Amino acid sequence: MNGMNVAAMASQTTPALSDDIKQLIDRALKMEKWPIARLISMVEVESDSAAEQRHVILDYLDSVVEEANRDALVVGITGTPGAGKSTLIGELCLRMLQGSDDLFVAVIAIDPSSQRSGGALLGDRTRVKFPSKDKRLFFRSQASHQELGGLGKKTYHAVRLLRYIFDIVVIETVGIGQSELEIDRLSDLTCLVLQPLTGDQVQFMKAGIMEIPDLFIVNKCDEDALAKKSYHLLRASLKLIDISTEQDSDRARPVFMTSALKNKGIEELARHILSLRQDPESFKNREIQGEYYLCKWIRQNYGGYGIEVYQSIKQNSTSERFSFEDREKAFNRMIKGMVKPLESFPCR
Amino acid sequence: MTENKAHQILDKNGEVSADRPWIFRTYAGHTNVWATNQLYRENLTKGQTGLSIALDLPTQCGYSSDHALARPEIGKVGVPINSLDDFQVLFDNIPLEEMNTSMTINGSAMWLLSLYVALAEERGVDVSQLKGTTQNDVIKEYLARGTYIYPPEDSMRLIVDMYEYCLHNIPSWNASNICSYHLQEAGATPVQELAFALITAITILDAIKERDCFSEEEFERCVGRISFFVNAGMRFVEEVCKMRAFCEMWDEIAQQRYGVKNPKYRRFRYGVQVNSLGLTAEQPENNAWRIIIETLGVTLSRKARCRALQLPAWNEALSLPRPWDQQWSLRIQQILAYETDLLEYPDLLDGSHVVESKVKDLKEQAYVEIDKILSMGGGLKAVESGYMKSALVGSQSERMRRLTNGEQIVVGKNKWIEGIASPLVSDADGGIFMVDAKAAERTLEALAETKRTRDPKRVEAALEKLAADARSGENLMPASIECAKARVTTGEWSDKLREVFGEYRPPTGVDGQSMNIENESLQQVRGKIETFIKEHGYRPRIVVGKPGLDGHSNGAEMIAVAARHAGFDVIYFGIRLSTTEIVQSALEEDADIIGISLLSGSHNEIVDQLFTELEEQGVKDAIPVVLGGIIPEPDYPGLIDRGVKRIFTPRDFDPMLVMDQIMDVIIENKSKVAH
Ligand code: B12
Ligand SMILES: Nc1nc2c(ncn2[C@@H]2O[C@H](COP(=O)(O)OP(=O)(O)O)[C@@H](O)[C@H]2O)c(=O)[nH]1
Ligand SMILES: [Mg+2]
Repeated sequence: MNGMNVAAMASQTTPALSDDIKQLIDRALKMEKWPIARLISMVEVESDSAAEQRHVILDYLDSVVEEANRDALVVGITGTPGAGKSTLIGELCLRMLQGSDDLFVAVIAIDPSSQRSGGALLGDRTRVKFPSKDKRLFFRSQASHQELGGLGKKTYHAVRLLRYIFDIVVIETVGIGQSELEIDRLSDLTCLVLQPLTGDQVQFMKAGIMEIPDLFIVNKCDEDALAKKSYHLLRASLKLIDISTEQDSDRARPVFMTSALKNKGIEELARHILSLRQDPESFKNREIQGEYYLCKWIRQNYGGYGIEVYQSIKQNSTSERFSFEDREKAFNRMIKGMVKPLESFPCR
Repeated sequence: MTENKAHQILDKNGEVSADRPWIFRTYAGHTNVWATNQLYRENLTKGQTGLSIALDLPTQCGYSSDHALARPEIGKVGVPINSLDDFQVLFDNIPLEEMNTSMTINGSAMWLLSLYVALAEERGVDVSQLKGTTQNDVIKEYLARGTYIYPPEDSMRLIVDMYEYCLHNIPSWNASNICSYHLQEAGATPVQELAFALITAITILDAIKERDCFSEEEFERCVGRISFFVNAGMRFVEEVCKMRAFCEMWDEIAQQRYGVKNPKYRRFRYGVQVNSLGLTAEQPENNAWRIIIETLGVTLSRKARCRALQLPAWNEALSLPRPWDQQWSLRIQQILAYETDLLEYPDLLDGSHVVESKVKDLKEQAYVEIDKILSMGGGLKAVESGYMKSALVGSQSERMRRLTNGEQIVVGKNKWIEGIASPLVSDADGGIFMVDAKAAERTLEALAETKRTRDPKRVEAALEKLAADARSGENLMPASIECAKARVTTGEWSDKLREVFGEYRPPTGVDGQSMNIENESLQQVRGKIETFIKEHGYRPRIVVGKPGLDGHSNGAEMIAVAARHAGFDVIYFGIRLSTTEIVQSALEEDADIIGISLLSGSHNEIVDQLFTELEEQGVKDAIPVVLGGIIPEPDYPGLIDRGVKRIFTPRDFDPMLVMDQIMDVIIENKSKVAH
């Protein structure tokens, strides 16, 4: 198991690609589960040496995956706890894979961490029943730790990694407060899961959240009558929002009525997502995304001053291509001499 | 004619008399249909009139014996039933019309009742004469016992189908038996027990009302058919009050909510198994006394006395009871009923202000809880949202906390631990009952034989009809009975309905739970976790897995909650998983350790499966495995040899100490794997 240990690897001085990692990546690209999982762990870890590690991994992937042309569509699923997100994701994934042998889907499900102990209970797997050993599906849980909105650099890096390996990456958020905004940053398609005829909608409207999603799903429509009723209700309120926010009313945002339990409406949703994957328009700009997470992280650790430092680096940057790791490295070099980080150990 | 004194019971002729004792039950069934048939016939010749049938876990979960999940469990905790052919053997030479047959069966209850009816019809027995009970309380399966199959709505529909069928065709059959027994075993407080059991009854009756299949008179009879299965723990005064509260509340609910006029149909009829959760592995001989005390809770008050009673055995926390162990428990009942004067008096507690006030208090709190659940949309909604399950896990965590810090004294466990070793456990067989592994082969052969000799066309047609009726909403009993006669198997019947209804996994109740333990072991393990994070840059991850059909979730839930409290990131995704699913999850989550919980007695087979899987994936050395549950000591060497790093039992009741040891295993393994 030489080289499987994150810390041991991270402490290597040369950032060159080691044989171990190369082998791991090659196996991951053959969709072997453990190597994929190991790589996720490696890019999630935060420390200076781990950042080097991440750089190496992502660079190598960049070079080998180019020809494979796998830039996954990232689908973010949000909604209140209990709305049925996990169950729906389970059914959705199975449906997307039906009748297709070379589609690969990864799920990252985020659950909240305890404020007191720092630990987390990651239970979204309870709701997904994937055929075991199917290489086309990969499920990973992630603890939100102390991240605002439950999504942070850790998720960003994991998603970035998975984008190289899979065709579709689905993210399930903790579904409380900030996460709707955050998930929209990270995903190409943001879906809000609502429960029929509950207070959800009103709450979301008040919080301004209904403006964010690209698509709405009313889940738990086990009976058709219920589906119809909630559809009209939602449409009516969306109309109001779209007028008030001057959104293009010709492009009404799609609404899907599903029952994850009774397997209704899942097929339509699956088809919709698969069709978006074919459309280059669906994909958000990866550089803006990277910049956002970098800035978020800098702000969290170094405040407004850090951002100023970063801006100056950006202005002086000569390379055309945005590379998160290059910029991060540059920033770290610069800031190290100037200040001490606010948190000595940001990954907790 | 005698003078009427307040302390006497008079019979209808005015003579001083005494009550008849409750029914003494023993719950039996194991190995295979031949062995169990022999056991039943022996018991019947000894004068027993009722049969209480224990079915094995595959049968309870809707799998035939030849299913992969079934293999390690065949015949372990009950008798395996695959088809009507098995039932023919099980009841060979047993007159159905004379029997009162009770079956502990839930998810697949309709199937077992159909087999029973089909058997009667094939034998030419008048079906309307059959007497008995199918447990068939699926709500408590989702909450505590684990042998559910279908989603809540569909399960409820099966239950209502059975009520409808039974009332019209087998009027003396109790279509279901509402259980609070299992709720207490899963941690329920007396108030939770009252509220959740009564909510279950309400959920069933509301569903029956909604179907509107009975006349008013029939509906009253149907309410009268509802019976309960209750628990009684060590706080026996409170338990007596709980029983009185049950009786009063059921009477009130039947009258007020359902307008039942005949008081006979509002009576709270119940059987009991006393608490086993509190029986200890430490100084197990003390359990005998505990069992006696628990028995008082359900026998003292004449008004609220149980109809039937079954007792666990002194070695409950060690393994399945042997015949002698069961006999010793039966003796407790006999001594109480026949040697004491308990049965000679009217209600002893009537007029006690203390009891009255306590009963009132319990009732008030239980009604608050019932109203709360009704306002959430009722029992099924409170299953789906996880509300009730979380409440139970919360109570169980609280119990663990009290045990750990000594707030709740358990003699021999957390107090007065020193003592002379018990000669009881040093018997030749170590006090442990083992099932003959070869017996399963015979069951499998019989299943293959049934499949070979039956008419495949009839099977297919019967299953098609079952699916069609399931879709159309037709009562499923007739189609099921035809399936039974066509020699459809348990697995086939269940799978057909899985196709239509889908399968269901209830919420685990662990998310958001905390365990308020603050002790030295916590400080110690938190320290180790801190160091680990500093060194490795992430929080240690544990997969807590429940492989196989074992429904004992308490241990795994407590370990999951405790691990989060200690500071682990915990992956726990419920019960009834295959070892493949658990290993896959550990791979995908890049877990630092796998913790397996097993109480069903199948640990040897399942641990072997698990390691085979880990070896195939090439991670046997990378991901260490620890095991917990009911693991008899003679099995330790084999398990350690196979690769298990640590074994935990009920004796390890300080969860933080357990966590500390788990951390040690992780650290050990990290240092080994690194270089
Ligand atoms: C409570 C209980 C139940 C409850 C379970 C409720 C629930 N949701 O868990 C109910 C009433 C539902 C139940 C049902 C049955 N039960 Co039961 N039950 C028990 C009982 C009394 C206590 C178990 C318990 O919960 N203890 C409390 C928890 C917290 O402790 P624990 O699980 O031991 O866990 C501790 C340690 O073992 C360890 N640990 C456990 N797991 C893990 C995992 C890891 C990773 C780690 C580190 C540590 C660890 O740490 C924990 C904390 O201290 C035991 C006997 C006993 N006293 O132990 C019988 C017992 C386990 N049951 C038994 C049987 C037979 C059954 C039934 C089959 C009866 C039947 N025929 O219907 C059914 C089966 C149901 C099913 N689907 O599987 C047998 C098993 C026999 C065997 N192994 O050979 C036992 C031993 C009783 C007996 N002597 O007959 N049961
Ligand atoms: N009736 C019904 N229940 C559902 C449906 N989808 C999910 N559920 C249930 O809702 C509960 C919460 O589901 P889960 O997927 O964990 O929700 P999440 O918290 O949003 O991820 C579970 O009990 C599910 O079984 C559905 O379509 N219909
Ligand atoms: Mg979820």
